Amino acid sequence: MRPRFVFGKVLGALSTLVFVVVVNFFLFRIVNDDPVESMFRGRNLSADQKDRLRQQFNLDGSKLQQFWAYARELVSGNLGISLQSRRPVTTEIGEALWPTIALVGTATTLSMVVGVLIGIRAGWRRRSAFDVSSTTLSMFTYSVPDFWLAMLSLGLFSVQLGIFPTGGLEDAGTTASGLALLADRLHHMTLPCLVLAIAYVGEYAIVMRSSMLDTVREDYLQLARAKGLRDVEVRRRHAVPNAVLPVVSLSALNFGFVLSGSIAVESIFSWPGLGQATLEAIRGPDFPMLQGLFLLFSAAVIAANLIVDLLYGYLDPRVGGR
Amino acid sequence: MPQRGRTRVGAGVRVVVGGLLLAAIAGTASASASPSAPDQGDRVTLTVGLMQDLDTPNVTAGFLVSSYEVWNLQYATLTDKAAADFATQPGLAESWVVGDGGLSYTYTLREGLQWSDGQPLTADDVAFTINTSRDQEWINHSSITADLDATVIDDRTVKITSSVPDPKLPIMDAYILPKHIWEPVAQGDITTYDALDGVGSGPFTLQEWKSGQSWTMAANPSYYKGVPAIDQVVFRVFTNADAMVAALRKGEIDAAHLVPSSSFESLGNTEGIEAVFGQQGGFTELAMNGMAGGLGDGHPALQDLEVRHAIHRAIDKQALFDRVILGLGTPGVSLSVSPDPAWRPEIPEDEQYTYDPAAANDALDAAGYLDTDGNGIREMPGGGQELVFRYAERSESDIAAPVRELITGFLEAVGIGTTVDVFDDTQLTEVIASGEYDLFVWGWTPFVDPDPMLSYFTCAQLTTDVEAVGYNDANWCSPEYDELYAQQNVELDRATRVGIVQKMLRLFYDESTYVVLFEDADLQGYRTDRFTGWTRQPAETGPVLFSNSSPTYFLLQPIDGGAGDDGGLGTGVVVLLVAGGAAILGVGGALLFRSRQNQDERD
Repeated sequence: MRPRFVFGKVLGALSTLVFVVVVNFFLFRIVNDDPVESMFRGRNLSADQKDRLRQQFNLDGSKLQQFWAYARELVSGNLGISLQSRRPVTTEIGEALWPTIALVGTATTLSMVVGVLIGIRAGWRRRSAFDVSSTTLSMFTYSVPDFWLAMLSLGLFSVQLGIFPTGGLEDAGTTASGLALLADRLHHMTLPCLVLAIAYVGEYAIVMRSSMLDTVREDYLQLARAKGLRDVEVRRRHAVPNAVLPVVSLSALNFGFVLSGSIAVESIFSWPGLGQATLEAIRGPDFPMLQGLFLLFSAAVIAANLIVDLLYGYLDPRVGGR
Repeated sequence: MPQRGRTRVGAGVRVVVGGLLLAAIAGTASASASPSAPDQGDRVTLTVGLMQDLDTPNVTAGFLVSSYEVWNLQYATLTDKAAADFATQPGLAESWVVGDGGLSYTYTLREGLQWSDGQPLTADDVAFTINTSRDQEWINHSSITADLDATVIDDRTVKITSSVPDPKLPIMDAYILPKHIWEPVAQGDITTYDALDGVGSGPFTLQEWKSGQSWTMAANPSYYKGVPAIDQVVFRVFTNADAMVAALRKGEIDAAHLVPSSSFESLGNTEGIEAVFGQQGGFTELAMNGMAGGLGDGHPALQDLEVRHAIHRAIDKQALFDRVILGLGTPGVSLSVSPDPAWRPEIPEDEQYTYDPAAANDALDAAGYLDTDGNGIREMPGGGQELVFRYAERSESDIAAPVRELITGFLEAVGIGTTVDVFDDTQLTEVIASGEYDLFVWGWTPFVDPDPMLSYFTCAQLTTDVEAVGYNDANWCSPEYDELYAQQNVELDRATRVGIVQKMLRLFYDESTYVVLFEDADLQGYRTDRFTGWTRQPAETGPVLFSNSSPTYFLLQPIDGGAGDDGGLGTGVVVLLVAGGAAILGVGGALLFRSRQNQDERD
C-alpha cells in the first residue's frame, strides 16, 4: 500500500471522529439544554441550589464555552464526571464495557461461524433440502426482532422451564469467585447470547450463501474441476476463499458495532452493559455519559471501517495502489 | 502444508478470541466497586428486585428513590417515624425538651451509641451534619436544616435552634452522618465522594455496589434498636419489569418494587406471594393554564372559573381510575400534600365537582360559551375564538396515552376541542414555564410534611421569567392562599396547622386549576413463605418497601426453612449444564462437518 493511501484513510477517520465529537456535544444540548430542571423536578430546591448544580455540571457558561472546556478535557483523555453518579465517565463506561464485549462479542463470533458454515453449504448445493430449509430459517431469524425473541426465550426457558435465570450478569450478592463465578456468569449469559446469535446468524448465512452462488458460476472453478480436483477441494481451496470476502468486511463492520451492543436484549435480560448504560444516560439526560458513550460507539465503528479499508487496500492492489 | 499452517493460525485465533471472551466474562468482577464483599455463606438474605440502580450512595449528591432506600437503612435520624401513622418517635435521640418559645429543642442522645465501625456516635456528629449541610446547602438536607443551628452541649446533648418558628420541629429526620468520615470529605468537593465507606448508624450499611447490577447491605451490629434478624439485604436491579415479576414467582427474589399493573392481580393470586399497592400521596393531575405568571398565551377561557368548574365536572374520574390505573389507587379529590391523610380536608360529596357532563354543558351555556356555528365546538362569549385547548402530553409516562384518549373524549362531550402535542419532561417543563400551553397531565409525590407541596402554589413560585423557573405549574396565585401559607409555616400547634392546611386545600380545590385525577400507588409484591413482618407505612394504605422511613427491613423475621433458598440452580448443576451444552454443540458440529464431508466425497 502507498503511504499516501494509508495517510488519507487515517486522516479521513480522524476527521470523522472530530465531526462526531462536535455533533454529539451539540445534538444532546439541542434536545435538552438543562438537565438540572428535569433531574430535580419536585425536589424543592432553591434557585441558588439549582444554579450551583449547573456550575457543578459545567452547564453555566455559553454552549461554546462549554464545548471548549469539553474539548480541552477530551484531548487530555478526560471524558468528564457523570451527572448522575458523580463518578468519572471512564469508570462508568469501563464497568459496562466488559459485559457488553462478553455478550455481544460471543454472540457475534458464534453467529458468524455458524452463519458462514450454513451459507457455504447452502450456496454450494443450491435448491437442496438443506438450502431451502436453512435459507427459510435464515430469512426468519434475520427478520425476527431480537427483543421479541428475547421475551419469548425468557418466558420459556427462564419462567416456564426454569433452566436459566431471569437476567443479570451473575447471582445478585454472590460471593463466588474463580471457576464458580465463571460458571455462574456463563449460566446467566447463555440465554441472551443465544438469542443474539440467532438474531445475527441469518445475516451471515444469507450473505455467505449469496456470495457462494456468485462464486460457483466462475470459470476458474470449472478449470479447477477440469484439473481433476475433488469437489471438496474445489470448494475449500477455490470457492470459499473467494466467496468469503464480503463476509469478512461484514464481520469487521459488525464487530465495530459490538460495543454499541444490543440495547433491547441487554434491557430484557437486565444485562449491565453499555446498552443499559446508554438508556440510563438518556433518562437524565447525563450529558457527559452520553458524549462518552457515543464517542466510544462512533470510534469503534470508525476504527472498524478504517481496518476494513486498509485490509482491502492490502488485499486488493487496485484499491491500495500497491 | 499451507492449509495446515492456516489451520494452526485459525485455531490460534479461536483460542485467543475464546480466551478474550472468557476473560471479559470473568474480568467484569474487577469492575465492581467492592469495599468489602459480604461473606454470604449461610447468612439470611433478603433479596429485593427493583427497576432502578443507585445514582450514587453519596447523600449530598444522589436524588433517586433507590438511593433514599440506602440512606434510610444506613443513616438513623434524631427522631424516627412510626410505621403506622408517621407519629414522631425517639430515634438516635431518646428525648427532647422544647425551649425559647418553640424556637429551640435540646435533644438527648441514647447512651452508648456507636457507628457501625465502632466509633462513638456523639452530639458532635449531629452538630457537624446540621451545620455543614446548612452552610454547604446539601440537596437532601437543606430543606430541613436551612434555618437551623446546632450547638453541642456535651457528648449526648445537642441544642438545635431555628432562626424562624418551624412547625416541623421537633421532627429531625435529616440523615446524621459520621463526622470522622465526612469532615475530611467536606473540605473538598463533597458531591464527588463515592460514599462506599459503609459506615452508618441505621439497621443496615452498604457493603458492596456493583453498578447496574446490585448492591448489598449488611446488618449493623451496633444499631440502637438491636441487631436485625436478617443478615443482609441484596437489592437486585432489573431493566425488565416482567422479568422481575418472574424472578419473584420463581423465588429468585423475595420482594419486588414497582410491579407492572398488568401483572399485579395474577401476582396477588399466586400462592406464597402477597401483592400490595402502597400509596404515599402521589397523584396525577390535569392542570390548566391560569396565566397568573403573565407569560405565554394560555387560552382566555381558562381564566374563567366557570369554565374550569365545567371542565372539572366533565372529567369522569371513576373511568380514569378503573381503566387507566385498573383500580390500583384511589380516585382523586383534593390536592394531596402528604402521605399522611390527616392533612386532607373532607369535602362533602354535594360540594365536589363530580362527573356531570349535563351540568357542565349547562354551566358553559349559561356563561355564554355557545357553539354558534354548529361544528360541535363552543366559542368564547359573543363568538370568535373557539374553545380548542392545546393539550401537552408527556412522552415519558406509560399512562399518558390512555389518559389523553379519555380526557379529550370527555371534553369533546361538552363542546371543548383539543389539539395534542407530545413532549419529553424537560421540554414540557420549558413549555409550562413559558406559559405556551392550555392543559397538561403530570403528577407529584409529596413529602411527609405538607409544607413543600403547599409552597409550590404560592405566588412566589410563579414563573415570571423563563430563566428562573418556579414550581407553580398551576400558574395560579391567590393572596388568600399565600396568607394562609405564611400562617401554617409558623404555626407550632399541629391541630391548628392542620386546620389552616385543610382550608388552603379547599381553596385550591375550588379554584380548580388542578383537577386531581387519581392518586396512584407503588405496586409491590413480596413472598410470605420466607419472611414475616412485612410492614406497611402508613398502615393499611402504604407500601412495605421504599416507604418514608422504610421500617420493614428491621422488622422482618425469616421463616424457618424459607429464607436463603434462592430457587436457582446450584453451581455444580450450572457447570454440568454448560459443559453439556458445549459437548452437544461440539458433537453436533463434528457430525455436521462429517456428514458434509461424506456428502462431498459422494459428490
